[in-house]
Order: sequence, then structure tokens, then C-alpha cells
Amino acid sequence: MASAPPPSTGRELLSPPTDGISNLRFSNHSDHLLVSSWDKSVRLYDATANALRGEFMHGGAVLDCCFHDDTSGFSASADHTVRRLVFNYNREDVLGRHDGPVRCIEYSYATGQVITGSWDKTLKCWDPRSSSGQDRSLVGTYTQPERVYSMSLVGNRLVVATAGRHVNVYDLRNMSQPEQRRESSLKYQTRCVRCYPNGTGYALSSVEGRVAMEFFDLSETGQSKKYAFKCHRKSEAGRDIVYPVNAIAFHPIYGTFATGGCDGYVNVWDGNNKKRLYQYTKYPTSIAALSFSRDGRLLAVASSYTYEEGDKTHEPDAIFVRSVNEVEVKPKPKMLPNPAS
Amino acid sequence: MGKKKKRGAVDKVWCYYCDREFEDEKILVQHQKAKHFKCHVCHKKLSTAGGMAIHVLQVHKEQVTKVPNAKAGRESTEIEIYGMQGIPADVLASHYGEEDDENPSKAAKIDLPLSQIGGGVIPRSLGVGYPPQPLPPHYNPRIPGPPGGWQIPPRPQPWYPQHPTVPVPLPGQAGLPQQPLFPVHNIQSPVPSTATPGLQPILPITPPGMPATAPPVPVSQPLFPVVPNSNIPPQSSPFSAPIPSMSLPLSSSSEIKSAEPLFGGTLATNHYGIPGTPAIPIANSHSYASGPNTGGPSIGPPPVIANKAPATQPATNEVYLVWDDEAMSMEERRLSLLKYQVHDENSQMSSIDAAIDRRISESRLAGRMAF
Repeated sequence: MASAPPPSTGRELLSPPTDGISNLRFSNHSDHLLVSSWDKSVRLYDATANALRGEFMHGGAVLDCCFHDDTSGFSASADHTVRRLVFNYNREDVLGRHDGPVRCIEYSYATGQVITGSWDKTLKCWDPRSSSGQDRSLVGTYTQPERVYSMSLVGNRLVVATAGRHVNVYDLRNMSQPEQRRESSLKYQTRCVRCYPNGTGYALSSVEGRVAMEFFDLSETGQSKKYAFKCHRKSEAGRDIVYPVNAIAFHPIYGTFATGGCDGYVNVWDGNNKKRLYQYTKYPTSIAALSFSRDGRLLAVASSYTYEEGDKTHEPDAIFVRSVNEVEVKPKPKMLPNPAS
Repeated sequence: MGKKKKRGAVDKVWCYYCDREFEDEKILVQHQKAKHFKCHVCHKKLSTAGGMAIHVLQVHKEQVTKVPNAKAGRESTEIEIYGMQGIPADVLASHYGEEDDENPSKAAKIDLPLSQIGGGVIPRSLGVGYPPQPLPPHYNPRIPGPPGGWQIPPRPQPWYPQHPTVPVPLPGQAGLPQQPLFPVHNIQSPVPSTATPGLQPILPITPPGMPATAPPVPVSQPLFPVVPNSNIPPQSSPFSAPIPSMSLPLSSSSEIKSAEPLFGGTLATNHYGIPGTPAIPIANSHSYASGPNTGGPSIGPPPVIANKAPATQPATNEVYLVWDDEAMSMEERRLSLLKYQVHDENSQMSSIDAAIDRRISESRLAGRMAF
């Protein structure tokens, strides 16, 4: 490692994908980072060593990826496949297929299943322990009101956000029907949904520079806590430029969260105090994805043009890993009593 | 179309600019956005002709005097048209070949949502089954708004008569010369349902010192920042006003919300933030109502809002959404590009390629792999 202080954006990862980054995730077991890309690859990096450890090619753009454990992971591709990737042996096999591009993938430790969401308007659950091949591993298919855009898991709850601003909340133990069928509180297209680490609700962002903080508890008290705020906007020359909020990532320890938008900024927010804690230096281009490491000390930022203005020349797609300082993510003591309590 | 009689939903809607007809207004609006309200420089779709002209002027520094693809006599960017709204009575009449201005149903239809909102200028988005088109604030600014109040624009053609609650009380304002775009109708309690579920941007404010807004400040800025959103932080204050006090007929609020951007389900917003009060901060309604066009108090927010700082009014800022395509996500658009095409026939080829790639990477990584 160089002795010079890291740049304000964080350290740039070597051998990044050759096209846009669709998502990146830190492992729950180490500082390995799994990155899915529009260049049809899934790459595994050792973030601390800044080294590429593995690469898997697919038939089409890879739209999402997740870890199983430190030895394997899963990927969701535009070529309709759901694949399992075994890192050590650089082997991969197709777990199954959807009828359309697979947009989201999650692995549930609670149920040991892989869940995928696709633009074919379905959710599918797979059992990775069975031998590969669609027939064997598919556990169930669940129709959604619209194309799946984003998903998030916490404990036994799965939140699925689709086109048309629908939001379905499932209890993984009973997938026959959603536990809650909701609609996004925001008026614009949903971009990303992420559950709070404490399992009480989820944050949902839209293309209109806004994030809504929602709660699973449907009682009056529960719903009274919900709110939304504007972010990732710029005001210039008499107009407000409103950017999509592409990514949300919760700090595993403090429960505060970072949001990344097409404006190239990453903001860290304190959801309870309803304040912004920090704003990182602007990145070269849109923020496509964010992920905190399992101990919350590192934040991986995918600075990768997300085609919000079509195909055009843009800054090179890059991944930055920055060390997180406590002051940037630690909530301040409460100034007012929490109305929610 | 020969005989145009107001027959409600069965009538076809048509485009003021080029006279083309469409099955329903949603398609008409999409057509207008793509053909008449699209910036010729960057292809951004605006929400009105005027909005497009302003965009071209501000962003590309060029003056647009004519609406693209419009027929002669219909090219003015000054006249505020959105879907079927804003069409001058005489043009409407000549299109149908007969004048029909006392069907309350259309008015009602429009009113419906409006009434809920308590009047005010609600961009037609309200109630008009509109599809996911966020009503860009561009629209508002130009709305002539019913002077002082809510008049129900006589809509000669039966537009979406399906509103169950057609408020009959609409006095036939048939004579209205100018189509007030927001037929607000007898609103007794203009409960301006807040347009936005969101709360005011509490966050952008620097951390220290926003205690006031901490609690459920439901005041949310309307989705379209028609309102002086620009200065959000400070604004919040006024909005933070104890909304709870507004216990206006909330139900309406929800309606308004729906009006907003496409999906009718605004109800959700109702739950927003306000502790206990379903009502939504009037503020939002203001935004709509006042819209930029409001020349001032005339359109003004419905009387209701007492504690709302009229700040919302002067809709100052135009709001520019970097991604305004409600129908598709950025990834879907991107995938549709030629370079990302994945064909089924190719999947076999892809797997072969994948196998080859894998072998290549295996050998490449062999040297690097620690395990």
C-alpha cells in the first residue's frame, strides 16, 4: 500500500470491469467484493489486497450478484440465467432460468434458498443444494404485478419493488402470497429498495431524487413514523435538476445509510434523526451501487455511468473502496425525543 | 369523427396540435410528449409545449417559436395544452362540428379529483387516468387557472365521464370562455391533499439544528417542486407547520396525490408522516394550485390552508428530471441497445463462449489464485 493518503474518493480497484457495474457486494465473511457488470462478467476482488481473484463470464449483461459464503456466490443475468459461481474452482453452473432478464438475486441464510426477481414479472426461489438444472432446483415461482426492479432481504422478510411502483412484502416461510401488498409512497418510478438492518422496515428510492422510509408495522403507530425526503438534487439557474437515487446501503452496525445518485454523490443519512451526516467528495460519474463491508469499515462505491442520458461518452467505470470514518456514519445523539417511540 | 356527441368514455380524444385521434388520453399525452413537447436538441420530453420552449431556451439557449409537428394555426407555444385540457372552446367545437357545453360529466370528471383537493389548480394529472406521467411542473406555470376560485370548465366533450362522484353541483359554467384547466369545483374544504407523500427535505439540511422538523413533519413538498422547492431547507420550516391541525377532509388529499404522477394509488401518501391526521399538508395542494401560473393570489390555494406559508405559490423553479421515463427503468433502456442484445438463438453460442472464456480465465487466474 502506498504511504500517501488515499485519494478523497477512496482507493480505486485494479482490473475493474470493462463496462458498467450493475451491482457490487461485500461478503459477510471477509473483505471480498463481488461485482456484476454489463461486460457480462462477475468478478471477485479482495478489496484489502486490491486484487482480482476470480472472473466468470455470462451470455449477457449481469445485472446482480450475491454471495453464498466465501467460497461461492450467485449471479442474475440478462441472458435469463441464474448461475451459481464456485470461486475456488472458477466453476459455474446454471441453477435455472427465467423467461426474461433476471434483475435481482438474493440468498437467504434463513431458508437456504436463492431468490431471483425478473422482468418476466416473477419471483423464483431456488434450492442451491440440489443438483443444477432448472427442474431440480426450482422451489417455486411467484407472480408479481409487474417487472421486478429491486429486492431486499432481512431475516425472514423479503421486499420486492416492481415497475408501476408496486411493493410486495413476503414472509419467506410462506411464499404462497405476499404478507403485504403495498404501493410506493413516492410518486415516481422505484429505483432501489433496502431493508433496515434491524428488520423494522425499508428504505425505497425513486428516480425523482427522493427516498421514503417505510415500516412493516401497519398499525397507526408504526405508520406514523414513515416519512420521505428529497436528496440528490441540484438547483441551478432557476431550475431544480432531480437525479435518480440508484443505490442505498445500510451500515451494518450503526443503522445509518448511504445513498448514491446519478449526480455522482454519496450521502450518508441518519434515518432516526432525519439528518444528513455526511457527503463524500463527488465521484466522476453516476453512482451505480454501494456496499458496506461486514464490519462497516469499508464502503465500496461503483462510480459507473448508468445510462440515464442514453448512450454517450462518459468517465470510465470504476470501483472505489474507501475507509469509513466514524464521524461519517455514526449517528449523533438524539436531539429530540423520537416521535416513533 | 362525424357526430361528436358527448358520449363519455366512448369518444375519441384528439390532439390539438395535429388533429390526430387516439383511443384514450393516456396515449394522446404520450403522443404529445413525443411529437410536440420534445426538445429537438436533446430529445428530452417535456410536459407542455411551453415547458419545452423554456427548456430549449434555458438549456440550449435557443428560441423556439413553433410547436414541432403542429398544423398551421396550432403552433403557438403560448397556449397551454395537455392531453385534452386547455383546448379553446371554439377549436373544440369545430373539431366536433357542434358545440356542447353543458355536460357536467366531463367537468365533473376533472373536478373530481380536484374537488378533493379542494380546488386549486391541479394539473390535469388529477383524475385523468393518466399514466405514469409525472406532471412536470412545467405545466403549472402556465396555467391560466381559474380566476379566484374554481370554476368548472365547461368541457364540451364528455371526457372521462366515469367518475362516480360527478359532482352534480357543478353549475354549468358553460360560458367559460377560457378553459380553466382546473375545474376545481365546489370545494368546501379544499383539502389540498398534499401532493407529496414525502416530507420536506428534512435531510439536506445540515445536521445540526433541524430539530424542528424531526418529528413527523408531514409537510411534504409536492412532488413537483413547483413550489419553491429550491430553497428547500428553509422552506421546510413553514411546512413543518403543525399539519396535524389540518384535519380537513383528508380523503381528498389522497385524491390529489393520485393526480400527481400516474398511478392513482396515492392513498399511500395519506399515511405519510402525519401523526394521526390523515390530512396531508395543504402545502402540497398549494403547489398545485398555485402553480407557477398563478399570477398571484387569484388562483391561490384554497382558503383552507391557513397555516401554510404561501411560499408554495410562486412556483419558481422548473423541475428537470434526469430520468423521466416512467415506463421503463434505466437498465431496461440500456439493455435494449444493440450492443447488449442477447438473443435466444445465441444462448447456445453464449454458453460455448462462456466455456471458452472460463478456460481462459482459469489459466489466467491459476497463477494468481492463492488457494
